[in-house]
Amino acid sequence: MLGKLSWSAIPIDQPIPLIAAGVVLVVILAVLAWVTLKGYMPYLWREWITSVDHKRIGIMYILLAMVMLLRGGSDALMIRVQQAIAYQSNGYLPPEHFNQIFSAHGTIMIFFVAMPFVIGLMNLVVPLQLGVRDVAFPTLNSVGFWLTATGALLVNVSLVIGEFARTGWLPFPPLSELTYSPGVGVDYYLWSLEISGVGTLVAGINLVTTVLKLRTKGMTYLRMPMFCWTTLASSLLIVAAFPILTATLAMLILDRYFGFHFFTNEAGGNVMMFMNLIWAWGHPEVYILVLPAFGIYSEVVSTFSSKSLFGYRSMVLATMAICIISFMVWLHHFFTMGAGPDVNAIFGIASMIIAVPTGVKIYNWLFTMYGGRIRFATPMLWSVGFMVTFIIGGLTGVLVAVPPADFLLHNSLFLVAHFHNVIIGGVLFGAFAGLTYWFPKAFGFRLHEGLGKAAFWFSLIGFYVTFMPLYAAGLLGMTRRMQHYDVAAWRPWMIVAAIGFVFLTIGIVFQVLQIVVSILQREELRDRTGDPWDGRSLEWATSSPPPVFNFAILPDVHGEEAYWAIKSRAKQRDLEKNEPHYEDIEMPRNSPTGFVCAFFATVMGFALIWHIWWMVALGFVGAFATFVVFAWRDHDEYVIPAAEVARIDRANMAERRALASHPGSA
Amino acid sequence: MTSEYERGGHADLAPGEESQDGEVSLLQRIAGYLTGLGLAILLTATSFFIAGTDLVWQPSIPVALVVLAIAQMGVHLVFFLHITTGPDNTNNVLALAFGVLIVVLVIGGSLWIMAHLNHNTMPMDQIIHMQG
Repeated sequence: MLGKLSWSAIPIDQPIPLIAAGVVLVVILAVLAWVTLKGYMPYLWREWITSVDHKRIGIMYILLAMVMLLRGGSDALMIRVQQAIAYQSNGYLPPEHFNQIFSAHGTIMIFFVAMPFVIGLMNLVVPLQLGVRDVAFPTLNSVGFWLTATGALLVNVSLVIGEFARTGWLPFPPLSELTYSPGVGVDYYLWSLEISGVGTLVAGINLVTTVLKLRTKGMTYLRMPMFCWTTLASSLLIVAAFPILTATLAMLILDRYFGFHFFTNEAGGNVMMFMNLIWAWGHPEVYILVLPAFGIYSEVVSTFSSKSLFGYRSMVLATMAICIISFMVWLHHFFTMGAGPDVNAIFGIASMIIAVPTGVKIYNWLFTMYGGRIRFATPMLWSVGFMVTFIIGGLTGVLVAVPPADFLLHNSLFLVAHFHNVIIGGVLFGAFAGLTYWFPKAFGFRLHEGLGKAAFWFSLIGFYVTFMPLYAAGLLGMTRRMQHYDVAAWRPWMIVAAIGFVFLTIGIVFQVLQIVVSILQREELRDRTGDPWDGRSLEWATSSPPPVFNFAILPDVHGEEAYWAIKSRAKQRDLEKNEPHYEDIEMPRNSPTGFVCAFFATVMGFALIWHIWWMVALGFVGAFATFVVFAWRDHDEYVIPAAEVARIDRANMAERRALASHPGSA
Repeated sequence: MTSEYERGGHADLAPGEESQDGEVSLLQRIAGYLTGLGLAILLTATSFFIAGTDLVWQPSIPVALVVLAIAQMGVHLVFFLHITTGPDNTNNVLALAFGVLIVVLVIGGSLWIMAHLNHNTMPMDQIIHMQG
């Protein structure tokens, strides 16, 4: 009846996950109770859960990422503490638990923090920057988000019911095959990524279509803001790469569930094929994450230097070059597997070549700052911190791209330090820069500057104190994922790294505090004009937060930096006083399709993990029925009358004009 | 929009191309799909015929099958997926080119990598056998 599921699945004998899960459960129940008692439930359902508004979906993606960041960060804390104390002792985490923690840390940080964070920012900002009212497929967008949330939920369920994978963030066979991992851990990993992978693919398709098809009048490709270009490149990579991940994991599923032999040791399976395929997805994935971050830095550096972006066209070219070359370097993740000098040399050279367009970008940002009037607001601090940090990470990357060097450093902590260097220093700093930069646009008030700066400095210092020691320990020969060790020379570095993590934790605390304090002081931090940073692209041309239809009149673009041009012209000719002719606007209706689909996908995923076949059928039929009902719906749009549009837009225009007539008050 | 309706009668369309604003009648569209179906059936039938025939020089059969397969892909792309050289089709053509490029890179790269791996990690007795 319940497949493999029984009471023994609950880890009664392990206090740490049980207490953690208990606390999380209490928090969730408390929030639910509070929401229900206050009567917010109908509002949440109507305005958020069923919303197909790209801005709201973007915000929910980012919220998911931030909650998961706390979970992944707790895992990181446990790893650092374990390695700091596990010198000639077993530490406080038994090996099988330690293995689950580093596997969950990697999985969560990549798939449920970094991915939703960048997809959320792209969702929130790209339609605004393109001057349009929504993404190409609004309901599909909602489905994509909720499927991602399903994946995150399944990973976290594994904390209390059963176990998580012990195989690392990529489940390399033969360890991940049924013979060596008979438990449900790997199945949790596989199904949560299969389901959330569909969500990511859907988001990618949606964003590609939006950028290619839905630009406002006059917004030619070479007038798009840089962030739209990097979104396009990143989404193209999602569309091209994620099917590889899905197919590879599907083959592992066939091995585990139906006794196939794709990646087994015996019967003609080929373990190396898994490495090959998973990294053919895995390397583009790195650029899926970092390209949008590059876009954010481009926007932030240009805005806060009060200058247009230096070398816009070279930046576009560099972005698209990275998009293509990122598919030619994947072997550098397994130089040591034995492909031989010819293959290694070619992929090593390709890996070094991909550093060139990245270097072009760094110089472009530096030249954008050169001669500009730079304002060191929080987003700008993150960007400058990124440039310094990312150069170090890039250089160690070029170092490990040299095959002979890689033979020494493969799987050492040097490698761990390198990819944390580029992912924290590149993607996470970019996400935080984007968060502080676009927060006023999303919510209508700025984030507290002082706390933001404190968060930045603690994160920056914390990053260096945590990860520079890992480079050293790696050069001293310490391999990754060690539950305990006996080499005295490594010990001091592990202790320093743990101290560094304290700084990183304080940085995160300041982030949370920043949001809480800003909400409390939102009246003082209110952004009335919709343009708090003196921005240059179209998202600043509408109010903060933007109305559901984004723009009362779709903007007409005449050059690069659309909003900057509008502002310049407005100063000369006072165009804003002429009231435009408002028209009715049709917007897509909210739909619970995404949420209901994801509910059934969760049921199906859970049932597949535990081999509860009747429940699998139930989940599948439910998800399919939801789709059918959605496909046959009669009316999918509602009309906002012109009078209502005019009322909303006039209020915003009045605010803007009032501030424009009092210079210096903005 | 009016100008587009005015030139509606003499639609200047490449084979398989569908107009954006519904100028082409249902009948014409059905005719397009039927042409595609006919060509696809013809190519499939030819493939089966060639595979079993002794009318042509035997070693040329695989080449002929490859050619027919590529032609088949072309028919599908033009008549069913409506990828043409028309001006509205740049996105589709570029997307196709990108897709083909990625498939070539990933499959070609995988074959190359795996061939070298298998060669380098051959069991010892086979290596000795090759040297002997």
